[in-house]
Amino acid sequence: MSVLSKSLHPEEKYKAGSLGRDLSRIGFVIAAVFLGISIVLGATHGDNYKRLLYAYVVGWSYIFSICVGVFWLVLLHHLVRGRWATAVRRIAEAMSMAFPVVFLAGLGFIIPLLAGYKDLYYWAHPDAHNAELNQTLLHKLGWLSPWSFAVRYVVYGVLYTAMATYFMKKSRQQDDSGDPKLSEQLRVASGPAMVVYSLITCFAAFDILMSMAPKWYSTIYGVSFWGSACVGGFAALALVVLGIQRTGRLTHSINPEHYHDIGKWMFAFTFFWAYTAFSQFMLQWYGNMPEETVWYKYRLFGEWQWVSIAILVGFWAFPFVFLMSRWTKRIVPSLVFFAVWQLVFHWLDLYWNVMPSYDWTPTFHDGVKIVAGPLTGAIALHHVGFSPLDITVWIGLVGVLLIGIGRNLHGNLIPVKDPTLGLSLAHENL
Amino acid sequence: MSDEHTHEPAPADDGSGHGSDHGFDNGHGDGRLYGVLAEYDTPGELLAAARKVRDAGYTEFDCYSPFPVHGIDEAMGIRRTILPVLIFIGGLTGTAGGLLLQWWCNAYNWPWNISGKPTWSIPANVPIAFELTILAAVFTSFFGMWILNKLPQVWHPFFRNERFNHVTDDAFLLGIEARDRRFDTVATPKLLADAGAIRVESVHLDPDPAHRQMPNWITAFIVASTAFALIPFAIAAKARTSRSTEPHLHIFPDMDFQPKYKSDQPMELFADGRENRGELAGTIARGSLNADDLFYRGLEQTDAGAQWTTGFPKQLEISEHLMKRGRNRFEIYCTPCHGYDGRGTGAVPQRVAQTGGVWLARNLVDSSNPVAMTMPNGQLFNTISNGYNTMMGYAAQIPHADRWAIVLYVRALQRSQNAALDDIPPDHRSGMQMPETP
Repeated sequence: MSVLSKSLHPEEKYKAGSLGRDLSRIGFVIAAVFLGISIVLGATHGDNYKRLLYAYVVGWSYIFSICVGVFWLVLLHHLVRGRWATAVRRIAEAMSMAFPVVFLAGLGFIIPLLAGYKDLYYWAHPDAHNAELNQTLLHKLGWLSPWSFAVRYVVYGVLYTAMATYFMKKSRQQDDSGDPKLSEQLRVASGPAMVVYSLITCFAAFDILMSMAPKWYSTIYGVSFWGSACVGGFAALALVVLGIQRTGRLTHSINPEHYHDIGKWMFAFTFFWAYTAFSQFMLQWYGNMPEETVWYKYRLFGEWQWVSIAILVGFWAFPFVFLMSRWTKRIVPSLVFFAVWQLVFHWLDLYWNVMPSYDWTPTFHDGVKIVAGPLTGAIALHHVGFSPLDITVWIGLVGVLLIGIGRNLHGNLIPVKDPTLGLSLAHENL
Repeated sequence: MSDEHTHEPAPADDGSGHGSDHGFDNGHGDGRLYGVLAEYDTPGELLAAARKVRDAGYTEFDCYSPFPVHGIDEAMGIRRTILPVLIFIGGLTGTAGGLLLQWWCNAYNWPWNISGKPTWSIPANVPIAFELTILAAVFTSFFGMWILNKLPQVWHPFFRNERFNHVTDDAFLLGIEARDRRFDTVATPKLLADAGAIRVESVHLDPDPAHRQMPNWITAFIVASTAFALIPFAIAAKARTSRSTEPHLHIFPDMDFQPKYKSDQPMELFADGRENRGELAGTIARGSLNADDLFYRGLEQTDAGAQWTTGFPKQLEISEHLMKRGRNRFEIYCTPCHGYDGRGTGAVPQRVAQTGGVWLARNLVDSSNPVAMTMPNGQLFNTISNGYNTMMGYAAQIPHADRWAIVLYVRALQRSQNAALDDIPPDHRSGMQMPETP
């Protein structure tokens, strides 16, 4: 009669059925329509597709970060022998299995880079090699060259996909065999996987986002990106779980106790992100060295300061204060509100990380006009320059993410024979 | 102890010797009935029993388990704790206290100009405010938990029950106190047994009032240790308000008085009171001979005696590399006064001018008053080494070779600052233009 463990409700609908196929179709339509519009808008933007590619990097980082955040839950759950998340773990596994699709979508900016497109990353521009202008950049250009960049991109994609596949495959094997040794295997694998995951997440953030301002550097940047990614990941997980429940599936298994815990993680990472982002800011602000403060110079003054304030208030202060309470995480509509809210601000955070590098200042050198790169010149010349493209690309890439998730929503939506499932179903927060 | 359920009808307040099957018969017998204690096999059964007891309308009961049982609050009908609110208030107090502390110290009570930085600046204050938020919130959480749970509770009537010893190990107990208005000596144990108890026992108070409270020695210990802990504060308070001619108390004199040299203190070991031993007369330390007058002093032996050299020592290869080294050292050591262009208007003269004074460093490249222009190389070297007028020598900071590199760079600077267009190779002339001012 113990209520510490429950068995699956006899009337529970835990088979995906056509759910994944439908989701993929919806995703495909969204992706096709919005990416199509984006290409038209990008072509008419009159900047040689530069805005389109910048928006693409923002949008791609967005869907990538959601996979990163959700996959972390899968790894952590095994690493610490978690209990509560078993009921939502299959959904998290399916979401993190979007990695291969996401990394294929990323070829949208990798291929132009390899084909010699020079206006996206300044380090790929010939003027980056100008020794007088970019003395502090020259030694980085071996690492930051299109081909080595592309090779690392492939390595990240392969490693993420391999790890996500392994955790998904073993988990599905357990659905058939119910063998508790599989849980043990996954637990053993989760340790090294967590190490690899941490390293490639940091380096991917350095490569894809931080190198937008190639002269600037911050060692905590990858951690801060990961914090933001986990906010997005848990918010997206809450919405996907709710979406699946709305179709009448898993209605008995997942309850406010699970939403509460997802909300707790979202809250925790909201603060973690703020902590690391402030750590990055304060040391550079206090140290006051031009090569470091330049990144903040163009964000804290001029038009961008309003975006910075919006992020401080919207991504941290407001959700932090309100998610602190228990009820805001347990009442599902309230949690959904904050999940949507954080998903919007997570995008704004990535936008704020990338877009200030959009305006490249031309300068004259030996009478020849050359490009001095991002984060140079007068602050007044740097505009937020918001374009409808930024939104259409974002939505289009979310469509791509839905394709990636839908592909893997098949079979059981819950690890039916996981030894810890009973504990998860009976989970109650203190 | 029998394994069957022991429903003993508990006696009324008659203090008779009933219930001697409790494990702690200390020879005092039993006093008034305190309550009944039921044991359950699993946390799940405890939860179910708690729900039944609550539904039956009991309020004066509690559950005891070795670990927190999820859902027990709801099962027992306990209102959610107010602790989170207290922690939030504690945290806010910490934030406010941290900000106030820094404002009072840095901006109000003792403002101190550090490189012209503002005395009050929010980003700089965030770490302290954050830490104090955490500290205050954690203290509120920790001590608030103890206070709200009425802990530490060193004595309880249930302690007289043998099974209660297992409550930190493997026992899941539910106790109902006799003072509950629904308590009944027959119905209450039956309710607990029907809820699946493996054992139900009555617990009586000790008839001796002295055994119903915290043992005196514990009280005495708490009072004594609290008093003892106040002694250092008392000594400090006394010292702050009184005068004494006695020397300080030295608890570790051999650590306080070590036979070693301390800066700005005399040394008793040597007669001259110094710790550093100077050079002995007539000796030179290894590597300090510096016999080469040209390299170390810029002097050349001629028929007319020693003179400042106009060349460079043969140890140095005059090269682009040496020139760059000279420029680098010049910009570190010389530019604060002489300026980057050598015209004597560096940061220090500019600062003097800002404060209303007039002081210029030597113009090294001035052809109308060519003091530095006409100095031989050796004398320039000597000036860097030993100073000139108000300029101090830089022998301590700059190695000899670097001083020569600076001499070389100063010569180049003098040449370039007095250059005419003809000095520039013809194919470079077209590119000459004023640099853009940033």
